[in-house]
Amino acid sequence: MNRYVDEIRVIARKILEEKAVDLIIGFKEGSIPMMTEPVLIRDAAETDQLYWDSFCFMNLATYLPKREGKIGIIAKGCDSRNIAVHIVENQVKREQLYIIGVPCEGMVDRRRLCSLVGDKEVREIAESDGGITVRGEGFGHTLKKADYLQDNCIRCMHRNPVLYDAMAGDLVEERKDPDPYDDVREIEAMEWDERWEFSSTLIKDCTRCYACRNACPLCYCPTCFVDESGPQWVGKSIDPTDTMIFHILRAYHCAGRCTDCGACEQACPVGIKVRFFTRRLNRDVFDLYACEAGLSIEERPPLDTYRPDDYDEFIR
Amino acid sequence: MKGDEGDFEVTLVQSPRYVDLARCIACGLCAEKCPRKVDDEYNERLDKRKAIYVKYPQAVPLKYAIDAQNCIYFQKGRCKACEKFCPSGAINFQEKEKELSLHVGSIILAPGYETFDPAIHDTYGYRGSPNIVTSLEFERILAASGPSRGKLMRPSDGREPEKIAWIQCVGSRDVHAGASPFCSAVCCTHAIKEAMVAKDHIEGPLDTAIFYIDVRTAGKDFERYYNRAKDKEGVRFIKSKIANIVERNGPGDLLIRYTDEGGKWAEEPFDMVVLYVGFSVPHELGDLARTTSVDLDPYNFPETRSFSPVQTSRRGILIAGCFHSPKDIPSSVTDASAAAAKAGALLSGTRFSLSKKKELPPEIPDTAIKGERPRSGIFVCQCGINIAGVVDVPAVAGSARSLPFVEYVDENLFSCSQDTQETITKAIKEHKLNRVVVASCSPQTHEALFQETVRNSGINKYLFEMANIRNQCSWVHADNPEAATDKAKDLVRMTTEKVALLEPLPENELEITQAALVIGGGIAEMAAAQNLSEQGYRTYLIEKSDRLGGNALNLYQTWKGEDIQKHLKALMADIKSDENIEPYLSVEIKAVEGFVGNFTTTISCDGEERKLQHGVTIIATGAQELKVDDYLYGQDWRVLSALELDRLFMEKDRRLGDVGTCVFIQCVGSRIPERPYCSRVCCTHSVVSALLLKEINPAMNVFILYRDMRTYGLRENLYREAGEKGAVFIQYDHERGVKVERVNEGLRMSFTDYALKREIQIEPDLLVLASAIVPTDGASLPRLFKVPLNEDGFFVEAHVKLRPVDFATDGVFFCGLAHSPKSIDESITQAQAAASRAVTLLAQKVIHTSGTVAMVNQLYCSSCGVCVAICPYGAPAINDETGKAEINPVLCKGCGLCVASCRSGAIHLNGFDEGQVMAMIGSI
Amino acid sequence: MDHWEPRIMAFLCAWCSYAAADLAGINRIQYPPNIRPIRVPCSARVSPKFILSAFMHGSDGVWVSG
Repeated sequence: MNRYVDEIRVIARKILEEKAVDLIIGFKEGSIPMMTEPVLIRDAAETDQLYWDSFCFMNLATYLPKREGKIGIIAKGCDSRNIAVHIVENQVKREQLYIIGVPCEGMVDRRRLCSLVGDKEVREIAESDGGITVRGEGFGHTLKKADYLQDNCIRCMHRNPVLYDAMAGDLVEERKDPDPYDDVREIEAMEWDERWEFSSTLIKDCTRCYACRNACPLCYCPTCFVDESGPQWVGKSIDPTDTMIFHILRAYHCAGRCTDCGACEQACPVGIKVRFFTRRLNRDVFDLYACEAGLSIEERPPLDTYRPDDYDEFIR
Repeated sequence: MKGDEGDFEVTLVQSPRYVDLARCIACGLCAEKCPRKVDDEYNERLDKRKAIYVKYPQAVPLKYAIDAQNCIYFQKGRCKACEKFCPSGAINFQEKEKELSLHVGSIILAPGYETFDPAIHDTYGYRGSPNIVTSLEFERILAASGPSRGKLMRPSDGREPEKIAWIQCVGSRDVHAGASPFCSAVCCTHAIKEAMVAKDHIEGPLDTAIFYIDVRTAGKDFERYYNRAKDKEGVRFIKSKIANIVERNGPGDLLIRYTDEGGKWAEEPFDMVVLYVGFSVPHELGDLARTTSVDLDPYNFPETRSFSPVQTSRRGILIAGCFHSPKDIPSSVTDASAAAAKAGALLSGTRFSLSKKKELPPEIPDTAIKGERPRSGIFVCQCGINIAGVVDVPAVAGSARSLPFVEYVDENLFSCSQDTQETITKAIKEHKLNRVVVASCSPQTHEALFQETVRNSGINKYLFEMANIRNQCSWVHADNPEAATDKAKDLVRMTTEKVALLEPLPENELEITQAALVIGGGIAEMAAAQNLSEQGYRTYLIEKSDRLGGNALNLYQTWKGEDIQKHLKALMADIKSDENIEPYLSVEIKAVEGFVGNFTTTISCDGEERKLQHGVTIIATGAQELKVDDYLYGQDWRVLSALELDRLFMEKDRRLGDVGTCVFIQCVGSRIPERPYCSRVCCTHSVVSALLLKEINPAMNVFILYRDMRTYGLRENLYREAGEKGAVFIQYDHERGVKVERVNEGLRMSFTDYALKREIQIEPDLLVLASAIVPTDGASLPRLFKVPLNEDGFFVEAHVKLRPVDFATDGVFFCGLAHSPKSIDESITQAQAAASRAVTLLAQKVIHTSGTVAMVNQLYCSSCGVCVAICPYGAPAINDETGKAEINPVLCKGCGLCVASCRSGAIHLNGFDEGQVMAMIGSI
Repeated sequence: MDHWEPRIMAFLCAWCSYAAADLAGINRIQYPPNIRPIRVPCSARVSPKFILSAFMHGSDGVWVSG
């Protein structure tokens, strides 16, 4: 992964110097390992701050809506799809953007690494081709990166950016995973009460901090429904009903638009697998409308449009 | 009937109904008490009604009537149960027959049709078994308001059927006495629909089989429906005219004997059989025709011509619907609009001469109400005993008193009566009420009445709500008064919670530009422009090419044998000399701005830009004949398209006389996976051409290779005639296709006969391809006007049956081939219908916007554009300057789709806003 | 739970289902009284929020008909 860093810096410096863009949205190294941070760079001299590793799990498209001027942005596959969604939804114009594409072989799930080392402090991460070394006081492991990917990356079908102006490396091979929704079906196979139990248990630790919402590039409304008070749609407590309504409605707002980038899940401080909700709807949209979010800057998401031949079997 | 076009004097006899329309509240008590049971004609005599009755539940006006023929009082001199029990004193046995005299300029005849009585042919065993029913009887059996409340069961034993057969062409396409030789046009699609609906009405699996001669799903989207039935729903289609139906293995079990496609004798058992009875003109209409002196054809349909399709032989008398020819709902509705257009042309000089203006008292200013605390008045109706007989009305009123903002509660015997309106008005004024709830019947029927009362009291009419405690409470929970009372209390509480949150809403007025734009210069477009002009409106007619006429320029004869070029020339001359019509040729549309009532279309014409202002638009971008690249087409002059053959006819080409063998191939490019629609006109066109060729040379061998011969309606007569004159019709296996090759300077074609399953070769001198009709690829035009196309590239109507020439976008209409393939007479009918619909807007002069429309709160708008994409009416748009969405109240229909779709909660729907609906939900 | 009856909130489209419910009344078709209809201008008006809100306020079932 680190092999992309030099290329990213070269491109970024060039476009800033040429004044092709006013700023670059990218990543810089975090203060501690596995916490690579987003950064906005306006000065060509600062482009050496730009960084790339297997922990760039945040979705930089989140920083685009309503931003003025020319913007350079680093984008992996899912980020680029969210950029496309933003363009379709009038949040940013294609002409405003210079997209530096990064081919992605998946982000590493830091939670799984941490639990592997017994939640001891990780002092250093080193990546080599396909491998990742985790070191801390009194331990060191070299692992196969592919075995520790984030769940969404394991199922990812669009590792290469779908939209870019320059690439910071050669395109990687896309996987032809025949069944990206096996997990959804597994849950669907459950009995109703079992499923209710499953989803209730899933969110029982939710503190309603809204980190999942804030990390999500799709959540750019001036006022979110959870903050509305007249009428109040959903209580602001952590009453299980309120919490469930929050998660269901949030998923509905993402239906047909979600790229399964996983930013929500990574942002969750208590580790709730919130993608459970969005993935169910992603699967429906995929099955019913043969559509995946963010693959086109021409077409609106399927639930935004009506065609006479749309699926309507749910009408009885 | 006396007089002439523009000045008819008509005398009508109105039978008494013995019920005072003004007093009848349609509570149904009279029918409940009436002791006399009568066969219910509406339910095809499968059920009973009473001697006092409403013809069917959706009747307008919903008022009862006494059937004197069956009424005990009228027959025996005593009873009067209805009079005794009527709570509103509406029964009047003294009512007499009335004679009405009307002075009118035009008359439209739309008396409908009757169906064939299958009992006259014992082939069908109709009288022999209750399980053999007609298509209309079956329709009633499936209907929720039918004899079995929509539960599908065998009439003989009430058992759910497992196998049902449909027999097509019972009394149609039949030259025997009593039957009709023509095709009834609608039955094929109707049978498919019934088969699919029947499957839906049954718990278990249902085997359905349709016995047909040809599957004639020639209407718009019908072929797709047929394919779905066949390929997805498993409806079986058996090509066979059956021999007979008999009872077998016990009563009610039926056996159909028939010869199958291969000519083999076969039989199959069924639980039920549905006979598709054909259409004909009712005998009593002969009198109507005599009274009106309208010429009839041999089947008693009025004579009409293709270029004036709804005009009878007598000027000023027009027709619509199945009296014209057998047809389905969309065509009938289109006919009706076309007839209205022609009548409108006759009456345009006297338009508004009988209209009156209504005077209203001044309204309390909005500002006064908005600043005030809500003061709600609740009026609970007893509706005689209709509500009070079940619901404890005093208890409901009592519970209403404790609800928030309620200042006044009253109980009424009949809230809708004239004196109660005065009571309500008085209460509003006395108690300074600013919100009103009437808990009674349904807003669907009574909202307008109470809104008027509220408005007459000086309050904005949108400060009113109804709670439906009759139709949706007392009437349907008669056996559970306690629960019904609880529900009524809940309904009143929900409504009262909502009404407090209502706000006065404005209804704005907007002037309509008194001009029309017709896009396209074909025969349909010219007919539309001509009618708009006749109705007195300035019309811009714009055409992309350098001449008017469109496809009609290439057509020889209509199916009725009229010379198309002659009529086309006359029509073009009329258009050119018409002062109301401004034609523009070689036009390109640059931009379209505005909306219903106020469009501005920028066109470029002769290198000049011009802005046309118009209130309505008719789009008719037409279609073309498909050019294929097989069958040696384009490589050999002897292989022609249908239109190219017409050209030879027009030019009286001598080569036609030398043709010894001519073959027509049907469905070239139609009814195939990439173009899964029927082009509708080609079967008739080939039959007409075959007849013309037979006229040139009676000895000529004419073969027509078809899949289903779709000479629907009266066109069937031409098919029969062609057969009689020796044209040979061969059903070919379209999946194997037809191979055409050149052998020794000659043409040789080979194909498989569908029935014989054997390969056949013909060496024709002339090969005619009945190619598909494909819509013009005018991708930008639909976008400019925000109108949708279907999967095949044809226009999508606002409502397939009820608004067949309207787009969902207000003020935009269509006609002609761009909507679907159709013949010249059908195109002209549709064009006149489009003109008629356009005039309904133009004649209003101003548009009143509704109060219940959506609005955007700009602060909340995230600019995402969902509303713009999702609105079927094109009402929302993103403002270029602010980047935020705005909703045009003129176009908004208040459906709330955008409101529910708006993630940011920026859109509000007046009258059904989030808070208002939430208050209802939360009050339970 | 022998006599348990679900409480159902119904959102009925004014154009079709609400009119059909009226028609059921005209025909005196009897049905259980545990349904509370809300008339909406179109089933499209029914936001997912309404459905969840109905459940939140104690409905056991929500019926959207249009």
